[in-house]
Amino acid sequence: MYKIIFIIPTLFILFTSCSDTDRKKITYVTTGAISAYNLQYINDKNELTSTEVLPQSTQDQWVYSYIADEGEIVYVSGIYKDINSSLNIMILIDGKVYKQASNEADTLFYLTVSGTVPYD
Amino acid sequence: MDKFKYIILLLFIVSIQLTEAQNISLSGYVTNKHDKKPVSNVVVKMVGHNISTTTNNTGFFKIQYKDITDPKLVTSHVGYLKKEIHIDETNIVDTLYIELAPAVLNLTEVEIIGLSDNQMPYSIEKIDLKKIESTNLSDIGGIIAKEPNIGGIRKGATGIDPVIRGFKYSQVVVQLNGGTHIEGGCPNRMDPTASHVNVNDLHNITIYKGPFALKYGPNFGGLINLETFSPRFYNKFENHVSIFIGGQTNHIGYKSGVRIFGGNSSISYTASANKNKFGNYKAGNGDIINSSSDNYNIKAGVGIRPADDHVVSLNFDRSWGRNVDFTALPMDERSDDTKIYEVSYLGTKFKNSINFIKFHAYHSDVHHKMDNKNRPFSDTVVAISRIHAMNTGARFATNFRALNGNFEVGANYENIYKDGNREKWLIMQPGLPNFTESIWNNARINNIGLFGEYQQTRGNIDWIISARTDFNSATSDPMLRLKPNGTPVYENNDTKSEFINFSFSAGLSWHINAASEISVSFGKGTRSPDMIERYIILLPIGYDPYDYLGNPDLKPETNHEIDLGYKFVNSKFGSFSASVFFSYVTDYISTVRVPPSQVMPQTKGVIGVKTFTNIDDAYLTGFEIAYNTPENHLWEVRFTSAYTTGINPLATVYIVENGNVIDEATVKNDPLPEIPPLEANIWFNYKFFKKKLVPELNIRMVAAQNQISEAWDEDSSPGFTILNIKVNYKYSDQLQVNMGVNNVLDINYYEHLNRRIIGSKTPFLEPGRLFYINLIIKL
Repeated sequence: MYKIIFIIPTLFILFTSCSDTDRKKITYVTTGAISAYNLQYINDKNELTSTEVLPQSTQDQWVYSYIADEGEIVYVSGIYKDINSSLNIMILIDGKVYKQASNEADTLFYLTVSGTVPYD
Repeated sequence: MDKFKYIILLLFIVSIQLTEAQNISLSGYVTNKHDKKPVSNVVVKMVGHNISTTTNNTGFFKIQYKDITDPKLVTSHVGYLKKEIHIDETNIVDTLYIELAPAVLNLTEVEIIGLSDNQMPYSIEKIDLKKIESTNLSDIGGIIAKEPNIGGIRKGATGIDPVIRGFKYSQVVVQLNGGTHIEGGCPNRMDPTASHVNVNDLHNITIYKGPFALKYGPNFGGLINLETFSPRFYNKFENHVSIFIGGQTNHIGYKSGVRIFGGNSSISYTASANKNKFGNYKAGNGDIINSSSDNYNIKAGVGIRPADDHVVSLNFDRSWGRNVDFTALPMDERSDDTKIYEVSYLGTKFKNSINFIKFHAYHSDVHHKMDNKNRPFSDTVVAISRIHAMNTGARFATNFRALNGNFEVGANYENIYKDGNREKWLIMQPGLPNFTESIWNNARINNIGLFGEYQQTRGNIDWIISARTDFNSATSDPMLRLKPNGTPVYENNDTKSEFINFSFSAGLSWHINAASEISVSFGKGTRSPDMIERYIILLPIGYDPYDYLGNPDLKPETNHEIDLGYKFVNSKFGSFSASVFFSYVTDYISTVRVPPSQVMPQTKGVIGVKTFTNIDDAYLTGFEIAYNTPENHLWEVRFTSAYTTGINPLATVYIVENGNVIDEATVKNDPLPEIPPLEANIWFNYKFFKKKLVPELNIRMVAAQNQISEAWDEDSSPGFTILNIKVNYKYSDQLQVNMGVNNVLDINYYEHLNRRIIGSKTPFLEPGRLFYINLIIKL
């Protein structure tokens, strides 16, 4: 019987310490545009998705949040056709800015912000 | 560091104890307690000394020794219980009659039939459970690398790859439980065989240096056998539990495990669960080195004894590795999922002259995932490699008495399968383009071997000869690398190869008298190229910054080695052993640059492409020296020293300027790369409180390595001396505590075999001062 007293807590410690991968809250935020722009982003299913955003003003935000595992790719890429517009893309992980970038009057190149969810 | 320093120190220690002693001869017969029949092949050993012999067919033995205080003999045989006999004045003059009681069979003892390991004419190192339990190390490769003339190539937190006398990678065979092979997944060998075994499941390690032990499979430069805990039988039903908990500072983390085991004489079981987790560490200069790892496993085994002397055992091991840092490689291990299945049969005491029949079959399955997400270049390209590696095989052996000796004949089979790819995501590109490249393309290697070994003791000479022949064949789907647009970068459809290899070894030990022994061995060991050398498709895997390309036309390489050994054992002097070896390798597998006109490199930062090729020859030579004070003192001093050097008589050096190869030159007598430098160790210990408390001091002195390969752009490394202290306290058979301080003086150092931090010449530093404690409970 006394052997069981040793086994049970040891097994408990062992298996509770085999934790799953940590998960993080990912938030994409885009602002700064005055007219329509196209976005491509990785969604909660880890798929590349496209959407068109129609802002009313530079203050309008497009926000998308999901939960991701450590190591997953986070990716937002946008382009606009209005030479008077601009774009600011930000990726937040657990509420903290992970990466961001912006451009103005660039209708030729995509603005891309990307990376991988860091391992703690 | 002055090499003579070690020799002078050794001579000083030796001179302390050298005295004359008297030769004593002792003989006797060993019989079965029940039927009174003679028992052959019983190993009769002098306790605490390196003196042993084996009974012949009539059960007779004769053993000689010098004057020993309180001499004791111990017998061992696979089918009988051990027996210890105290020798007094009556025994010395009379013939001894020893009766042995038949034992309930336990599988791990099978190899003692015939010559025991300490009677073999070649160099064998043993790492026992006590040593394994007293270390803070969780990496088995790291434990092995502490032995004389053995080093370890370190690339990250785990997976230290053993180097024996300058032989490395597939030149060294690492097997599990006498025959199980595991094919690691990583092309950079971040997961060599030993990394798939949890240190807490390990019972002992045996290292056979040289190409001499041929019965387990093709052997080129050395063989390492890892023996895990197997189901053991008991005369009556028993249950036991063993708990291990170890923790340490600096490289902060723990290793822990619980094992339950037991059974009776018909059925037995063992089940264990282990978890080891470590973080980063601080080097002696205060630098933080990324070295975290997380490994856990479960293991279960069942032993069945359907009839006396027939045992079947089944083992299963499932292990996981997660987020293991490999600072010196382009990627880290993200996950490793390994399954090992084993089934064994052992039958002994047949009615004819058969000593035993043994069968062992296994299957290992490794899924290995790596990525570069913790590397700076993942800001533009995220690369994820997934490799699936399987190894399936079997070994059959029968051991029988004939011609006044023991024959062992049998066959081995091994099938290796490997497939994998690398997925690349261009994460700064619009549309997130991604593409997949093959690293291996359904590659297979088959090896069928037949072996024979004969051992005999005649007079003062033990001798052994063995031979094996292997039929090795390999194939792969086309080796193909495509550009993202689908056009081929490299294509090779001719991937088949077949070889018939013959290996041979012979050796003898001449027991000049009870104290002295001279041994000589010669061996020719041939190995066929491995998966990397044959089929890797454009990946940086070496010491140097090149993409590597497998060569299916590569020929096997052959090691011709001669070993000379001398042992002296005396109750007042202690034991001294020395061995020298010389290896001449033909068709040595090296590398050659492939011109950019044939294939362009595919990895960012590399300067070209290399493929594997056979060069004419290379040679290696070296020595090992060991000294132990007598075991009958409360104090003990041990000393070891070892050295190896290797030469490539005609090497090609590529001259690089601004990241481009601009020319090549031939260098004569270029040292072979990745060979550890001269090393010496001294241990002092004293046994307090009836040997319950044993503090031990270890001084490890490693010379600078200036014998470096120009062809491989190898860097020299400085010498260092470190001090380690440990204390083993055995409170009872149930409770034991081992604790210690490594690198007491917090020296900043690195091993010569540590790879450099990826993309730099920065050395991979070893941990600074580190405290550890291990608690072992056995109930």
